[in-house]
Amino acid sequence: MLDLDPILTVLAWASLAAFAAGLGVLPRAVLGRLPRAVLGWGNALAAGLMLGVAFVLLTEGLPTGIGYGALGGALGVGVVLFTHALTGTAELDLNALDDLDPAYGYQVVLVNTLHAAWEGVAIGAAMLVSVPFGVSMAVALAIHNVPEAMVLTEILAGRGVRLTHAAALAVGANLNQVMMAVVTFAVVSAAPAALPWVVGLAVGALLQLLLSELLPESYHQAGHTSIALVALLAMGMVVAFHGATP
Amino acid sequence: MAALQGLPDVALVFVYALVTALATGLGAVPFYFVKTISERFVAYSNAIAAGLMAGASFGLVSEGSGHGRLETLGGAVLGVLFILGTQRVLGDHDEEELVFGAATGESARRMLLMLVVMTVHSFSEGVAVGVSFGGGMTLATLITVAIAIHNVPEGVAITAVMRPRGVSVTKCAGWSIVSSLPQPLMAVPAFLFVEAFRPALPWGLGFAAGAMLFMVLVELLPEAYHQGRRARVATLTTLSIISMVLFQRLL
Repeated sequence: MLDLDPILTVLAWASLAAFAAGLGVLPRAVLGRLPRAVLGWGNALAAGLMLGVAFVLLTEGLPTGIGYGALGGALGVGVVLFTHALTGTAELDLNALDDLDPAYGYQVVLVNTLHAAWEGVAIGAAMLVSVPFGVSMAVALAIHNVPEAMVLTEILAGRGVRLTHAAALAVGANLNQVMMAVVTFAVVSAAPAALPWVVGLAVGALLQLLLSELLPESYHQAGHTSIALVALLAMGMVVAFHGATP
Repeated sequence: MAALQGLPDVALVFVYALVTALATGLGAVPFYFVKTISERFVAYSNAIAAGLMAGASFGLVSEGSGHGRLETLGGAVLGVLFILGTQRVLGDHDEEELVFGAATGESARRMLLMLVVMTVHSFSEGVAVGVSFGGGMTLATLITVAIAIHNVPEGVAITAVMRPRGVSVTKCAGWSIVSSLPQPLMAVPAFLFVEAFRPALPWGLGFAAGAMLFMVLVELLPEAYHQGRRARVATLTTLSIISMVLFQRLL
């Protein structure tokens, strides 16, 4: 690997994760309208990867300060609930393909944008635990962004948005991931005592997001068994291949 | 506890697992005081049970990974296959039926299905208890307490399905305990298996984690989402996971 300045390493890998979202238009471009079950498996794949990231952050990213980590986790849940309440999206169905209400389109993009910010916090925090660990989390979230953007594309395409524009919107919604990763890394580098709090914050937010946004609809789109298997397989991949902590 | 120390390990495993089974019966207790149990109450009990089980699985996976990461994952695959196989043997293909919960439809059939699912998943919990004794006393006590605690909302769930259909609270407690009886029965062979084949320990820990996580994803969460608000289900599950992991670390 190139011997980059640490903050450039964060910038590079977080950017890779954000731009991976653009690949989410490919299934639609190649196959046309996607079957409901495929969207369900996409949601389950995204949820499972996120669950894997939350799992390794929680079990390996907190060698000390588990108490602060737990408080940070509760805080993360609280902030997600607050932003959902503020934007009126607490019970928003992200898969309502036939909802043509003008407000729905921007709400879905907004939810995806807020969602991506937390993944940035997770990448920044993981990079502080160790660089190989952070890189593997960024790769997991990059893969996660593809099925997530696939579902977003399906919504946008159904509303007449061109695929090139959908790809741009998907990447755009994920750009704050890059910003949050860099900011988290810079701020916590300067105040290392905050690391357990920030790891906890990311874990709480990631779990709350995947359990309230990704999983609930997936169970309506495909059979329970297939959803559980896809999610568990994705989680297992993250656990199997993640980089070492110091 | 002092009285238990003279017992051979196999008997101790049986007693611990029996305690977790009896704890399920406690789930019926709230129904003495609550006259009407809403579907949401059951949904949120499921969400808490899901979080505690997921948190316990996280502990099993990280414990197992210390002995071998890939073996643990191999065990998890076997755990999932075990649940799938058991569902198949029992002819339990009708997942959609279970989602609708207590309020509607052929009550007798639903009660039976509920009991079958809960009993099936107790097999993996029994394996978890037995295997955890192979992972050292701290983890064994922890997993026993964890499973005993999480059995309580399962008892609540079972009772919430049976009670509105005219089954007495005492009988609901009895059925809840019956659904957990595979725990002591499976705990002993699981314990013996781990002792005899120490290298298989990560496989065993992974097996229990895989089985438990799969149960969370295939049964508990979908049912919770069906009957409760998703944000609240997510919050209860997340906080239960974090509490469980915190509890494990501090113990």
